[in-house]
Amino acid sequence: MFAELINPYYLQVASFMLINIILGISVYITLSTGQLSLANAGFMGIGAYTSALLTIHFDLPIILGIICGALLAAICGILIGIPTLRLQGVYLAIVTLGFGEVIRVVFVNWESLTNGSVGISGIPHIGREMLKSFQGFGFNPSAIGLQNNQFIFLSIFLLLLAITVFIIWFFRRQHFSRVGRAFAAIKLDEKAAESMGINITYYKVLAFAQGALVAGFAGAMYAHILAYISPADFAYHRAVEILIFVVFGGSEVIWGPVFGAFFLTLMPEVLRFISEYRYMIYGLIIIIMMAVRPQGLIDINLLNWFKNKRETRRQKHGAGNQKDM
Amino acid sequence: MKGLFKKLVGFTALSSLLVLSACGGTGEQAGSDSEGGNGEVVKADVGVVSFITGSGAAYGEAITGGLKLAQEEINAKGEVEINLIFEDSAGKQDQALTAAQKLINSDNVTAIIGPTLSTEMNVVGPEADLSGVPIIGTSTTAEGIPQIGDYVFRNSIPEALAIPASMEKAVEKYDAKKVALMYGNDDVFTKSGFDTMKKTAEEMGLEILTIETFQKGQSDYNAQLTKIKNYNPDLILASALYNEGAVIMDQARKMGIDVPFVGGNGFNSPEVIKIAGDSSNGLIVATPWYGEKDDPKVQEFVKKFEDEHGKTPDQFAAQAYDALYILANALKNAGEADRDKVRAALAETKDFEGILGNFSFDEEGDVLMDPTVLVIEDGAFKVFE
Repeated sequence: MFAELINPYYLQVASFMLINIILGISVYITLSTGQLSLANAGFMGIGAYTSALLTIHFDLPIILGIICGALLAAICGILIGIPTLRLQGVYLAIVTLGFGEVIRVVFVNWESLTNGSVGISGIPHIGREMLKSFQGFGFNPSAIGLQNNQFIFLSIFLLLLAITVFIIWFFRRQHFSRVGRAFAAIKLDEKAAESMGINITYYKVLAFAQGALVAGFAGAMYAHILAYISPADFAYHRAVEILIFVVFGGSEVIWGPVFGAFFLTLMPEVLRFISEYRYMIYGLIIIIMMAVRPQGLIDINLLNWFKNKRETRRQKHGAGNQKDM
Repeated sequence: MKGLFKKLVGFTALSSLLVLSACGGTGEQAGSDSEGGNGEVVKADVGVVSFITGSGAAYGEAITGGLKLAQEEINAKGEVEINLIFEDSAGKQDQALTAAQKLINSDNVTAIIGPTLSTEMNVVGPEADLSGVPIIGTSTTAEGIPQIGDYVFRNSIPEALAIPASMEKAVEKYDAKKVALMYGNDDVFTKSGFDTMKKTAEEMGLEILTIETFQKGQSDYNAQLTKIKNYNPDLILASALYNEGAVIMDQARKMGIDVPFVGGNGFNSPEVIKIAGDSSNGLIVATPWYGEKDDPKVQEFVKKFEDEHGKTPDQFAAQAYDALYILANALKNAGEADRDKVRAALAETKDFEGILGNFSFDEEGDVLMDPTVLVIEDGAFKVFE
């Protein structure tokens, strides 16, 4: 019964959805200080290539490869964050977009290392490696009634789910901490924030590095799930796609990018039955959304509305945990 | 805190439920019927992953057109009944992978045709191979595709076969010794074509004067061409897609470079003549598909395709058409729609007479056939002698 429900197709879509959620969050973090960064596709590429090359050439365990990829992306985030601090709005967007393209061109031209535009194939697949190590411990998926490939995709999905939940939890905590307050103050008014004694440089670079770290991590996971990457995966289309998750879902609260990525990854799959027209509908939905709710679907008002509704219900029925959050 | 955690878990559980239910709609029907065996009709579901929307939608259109035509004819014959299930990949690896997963796991197809791009095949191939589903690429020409696994086949002539064929003929005819190379370095297709050109040139003992690169969408090639002109080569080997390639030829002819060009498979398109006009004369390409061939099968296909789509079929349509025939043949020989039996039957395909010519798979699932070498003369493709 349980085993029949697990279809690798659904798990595959869900895994990509979780990766997109993580990418959406990476943009949300930099946006929460009012900086619009389009470099996240580049950071994603750095994470993906680093992890892929390390695991292929140095036989590093995948986990270490992913961590190295994410860290290198974060370092690049700091390096690009410092000089671009003075820039704002469109100018910052252009510079970061340029950075992303530079990264892609490096991947294309550094042929001895990255195999150029042909891309890298044969990257260790995280699910298959996990299956191997589980079998090494004497565990067989058939013991719980699963086929090998069901187990592979289920383990990827659960791993990603755990990580995504952790990332959401972490950044929600951060949002209500001193760091989060500083981010919000900088977003509202940089000058005022500075005069209140907030170290703008520090917090802006921090946000940039955090965004890069998360994007690099997502890229590394992407590489180990697809087992093949090429520079075209990290072109500006990807940067815009990630940005759309955030703009669509809403950039004020973390649930915005989460919902945006969830919905916009699901849409093309649900619309598969109308094949040629699915991207037309996809585009139409985005246009309508932006016309009706330019701030994104999920904003603070909407969350408050939900909360109030629950509050009143709670008062009526007298149930629930009052010291929520 | 506790409340937050509860909410998080609730949200993720809800979202995964939504995913499962939302995708469930189309999944359940069908399942490959596998009756047949003793002379009955073999019924099979065949999945198609193709580039139907996005920048390369023209490929997808040609491929689906070729496949549908072949499907009609095959089903009309009554030996094999094929039900095609089309899925779009939008030219993206992740989309191609989810499309293939859907076909393999939800639709339970017997075999898959596609995906369109070699980059997509690099992702989909290993997955199909692990799941034990035979997969045939009809337009994947990069190196190493059939080597992915036992279940991976292709019927598109790889660059490694087409380019040496055209180079050998051209070198022989023009008695070329010195060549100049040009290629687009940001595209998988042109890059792997260039690798083959360079290797072949070295093996043939040609002197490589210079190697010039360009990028997708570039419109001015004067810098590269001036350099090439100064070296005075006997031949120019250009690994370019037709849109850039046609402009390169146009600018080269205007500059006074009148040596022949040898191109890869991406250069092979009637569009070159449309864009470059008279400047396109002297382009030599090897192709698996020649629509003017004096073969009733070929002419019938061209006519039928033109009636339906209002334009002449290109190589992608022809390759897809032949691929479905090869698959139908394998299904007939296998006797039932069983993935493993079909794979075994596919691997034994030998001397299949299709519209592309005489076709066999080698032991790796790669193509064994002779490409036709064409040259543009007086504004039309002709067989190069």
